[in-house]
Amino acid sequence: MATKYSLAQANITLEESATMPVCSSCHRIIPPHEHGTAFPCPNCGQVIIVRCRKCRKLGVPYVCPNCGFKGP
Amino acid sequence: MSSEEPKTQQKEKPVIELLIPLEKYLAAGVHIGTHICTKFMEPFVYRVRNDGLYILDVRKIDERIRIAAKFLSRYEPSKIAAVSVRRYGQVPVTKFCKYVGCKSFIGRFMPGTFTNPSLKWYFEPDIVVITDPRADSQALKEAAEIGIPIVALADTDNRIEFIDLVIPANNKGRKSLALIYWLLTRQILREKGVIPQDADLPEPPQEFEVKLRR
Repeated sequence: MATKYSLAQANITLEESATMPVCSSCHRIIPPHEHGTAFPCPNCGQVIIVRCRKCRKLGVPYVCPNCGFKGP
Repeated sequence: MSSEEPKTQQKEKPVIELLIPLEKYLAAGVHIGTHICTKFMEPFVYRVRNDGLYILDVRKIDERIRIAAKFLSRYEPSKIAAVSVRRYGQVPVTKFCKYVGCKSFIGRFMPGTFTNPSLKWYFEPDIVVITDPRADSQALKEAAEIGIPIVALADTDNRIEFIDLVIPANNKGRKSLALIYWLLTRQILREKGVIPQDADLPEPPQEFEVKLRR
């Protein structure tokens, strides 16, 4: 298996090699099956804002770390 | 003590010029809310009138229109969907789509439009603009299900479930909806560089209004 071999060569595990999306509002890891969303900051467009389903449903505010824009 | 600092050291907010004169905003009734206010919309409320009517902050409306235009201009126009079930929003949405080049969904929103690929009218947008989160609940639900960002015009009585960018505005008035969509269209075209920064659309905001039958 080529993937396993290359990961073993680099001395990193599969979990370390993959970066999981983290919610910008609650800072939890978003599981792959969850219907969250990701979009560039509406104000500056420099940072990708990620929101989990729960935070979207509850309207939990998010803050852009670059420009300080507070949404939704 | 920090509370006794001279007033000159306190930060002063920069004066931002509105997109159109304040009188035009007030004449269109963009700032008029409802007798109900949800917790989500409290930050956008300016004051409560004696008769219990909530009034939206015009400066925040103006600021959000600018931000929404910047946000929408980053997406490919053909991948933007604008939805309006509400009668007074249908002409503004159609005109908005004509100028920006996006796809409009007016009248009844067929269930499965965003989620069922076997339908003839299936469309997969990258971003959705919603006129009323309560009236356009089917579009909101489907957009949330496919995980795309949602921009919505929200009045004081609206909930902001699944909305990623709120434009606080009166989404019930004929003139209000026309002015909001006119400003949004103009600002998007300015951001894209289609028209110069100080230019207007070829049509006035009155052309975005639904014509009343006598």
